[in-house]
Amino acid sequence: MSLKVRAIVNGRTRGLVIYSSQPIAFLQGVDPEKGTVSDAKSPIYNQPFAGKILVFPNTVGSSVGAYVIYRLKKNKTAPKAIVNQTTDIITASGCAIAGIPLFDLPENDISELSHAIEISLDSNKPELVIVK
Amino acid sequence: MLLTKSEEKALAGEYGESLEIAYRVLVAIGKISNAKRLIPIKWAHVSGVAYLTIGEFGLDFLKKISRTRGTKFRVFTTVNPCGMDIENWDSLNIPADYADRQLKIISYYEKLGIANSFTCVPFQSYKVPKRGTSLAWAESSAAIFANSILGLRTNRESAVSALASALTGKTVYSDLHMPRNRVPSKNIRIMMEKRDRKGLSGSVDYGVLGYYAGRTVPGVIGFQGQKLDLGMAEAKALCAAIGTTGSSGMFVQNSKEKLETIDFTEKEYEDVFSELSQTGEGEAIVFGCPQMTIEELYELSRMLGGKHFRKKCVVFCSSKIYEMARTRGYAQVVEEAGATFVRDACADFTPMISALNVDSVETDSCKGAHYMRKVHGVNVSLKDTGRIIEENAL
Repeated sequence: MSLKVRAIVNGRTRGLVIYSSQPIAFLQGVDPEKGTVSDAKSPIYNQPFAGKILVFPNTVGSSVGAYVIYRLKKNKTAPKAIVNQTTDIITASGCAIAGIPLFDLPENDISELSHAIEISLDSNKPELVIVK
Repeated sequence: MLLTKSEEKALAGEYGESLEIAYRVLVAIGKISNAKRLIPIKWAHVSGVAYLTIGEFGLDFLKKISRTRGTKFRVFTTVNPCGMDIENWDSLNIPADYADRQLKIISYYEKLGIANSFTCVPFQSYKVPKRGTSLAWAESSAAIFANSILGLRTNRESAVSALASALTGKTVYSDLHMPRNRVPSKNIRIMMEKRDRKGLSGSVDYGVLGYYAGRTVPGVIGFQGQKLDLGMAEAKALCAAIGTTGSSGMFVQNSKEKLETIDFTEKEYEDVFSELSQTGEGEAIVFGCPQMTIEELYELSRMLGGKHFRKKCVVFCSSKIYEMARTRGYAQVVEEAGATFVRDACADFTPMISALNVDSVETDSCKGAHYMRKVHGVNVSLKDTGRIIEENAL
């Protein structure tokens, strides 16, 4: 199955999904050393997202969050790519400075990815394929 | 988005890593705001200078950008205040490890090429271009001032997007750059019925109005009802407070648009005022959020005229405005009254306020009231400058 995506930061990748139904606050809600969500209320609390494709609806909190995304990349704890429902300026600028491929879903509800295990993304097409 | 050939090349990394990153930022923001193209700007104003705002992570990124070979700002660039008086931090009880971090951030910006003043009122220190000119300004209070008072065009940029604009000399053509978007989305009708025809007056009144309007209207704000009477101090207070509570980047006076209209009456005023002002008296006085302008320093010196403060008073302004105030003799009057100038720093994001070692402050700024409470945990007494002097200077 494939979904139409909008590529915000270009890239092509394939990887395992880590899905959060809740927004993420990068500043003070993410541990950049471990590469995990540190907010205990998050459905993906403490699950490492390094090297995976992080799927969540949107970002909340301080715009300094953009620099946290950059720090994740530098620490090698960053996700391989990010998929949002609707991307905001914090995630857009953070992924842009870090060089992390970023996509959002203009036509589909993000919950369609809640049971996806592995997906592939390509900004040239641009589409998201649920591999399994 | 439609990019020119040279923009495409820069995005592909042909002109170096810094420009690649900067264009990636502009393109990403362009896509989420449905922009079709980039446009040149005359002036970038970059926020994210105070260490208390960007922290270790921002410092890291700036270090990398400034050390990448050949990276320079391509357009006239001013930067926001930092967290301390650069010349005089030691005597103002700023911790040395904090100062070390702050000086590093400053050196990175200086390497990239900035105008020599750290200010949140950049329109005061440098020649303002003609109406309709496109800019990329972060610092919400300055962006709102540029759009609403000066007739310039800018979106409310973030630290990262303004940095990308400084590096490329371009911004995304969207939102407030497009004339058709520069019209009110909702009206606020000022109906202070218990007051005379003049309605609101002074910084506190306009700050309270802005705090309410920013929170109530996310887009362009239309004011109607009692007329706005905006001197420099009132305009600055209004813009700063709008930026504190919401995402609006502009207001329009005397809005004639027939739109959803929300009344601003004594009730709304009192609700906001009591939220921001928790105490009747503060242990120290803070002036200059946003940093004081030359007009305000003149007023302050005129009101003081030989009086002395009975409590600690700190005054925030840029080093350039301080110099001007010294040349004109205003600064001496303020200093002789016992106040301390803090140059090039931000009143909200400085360890200075905690270093004052007080539980409460008096100020005329609603933005300052909001952040000083949030960042330093102090209680605030909101009063106009005239009243603060009346009650605290002899």
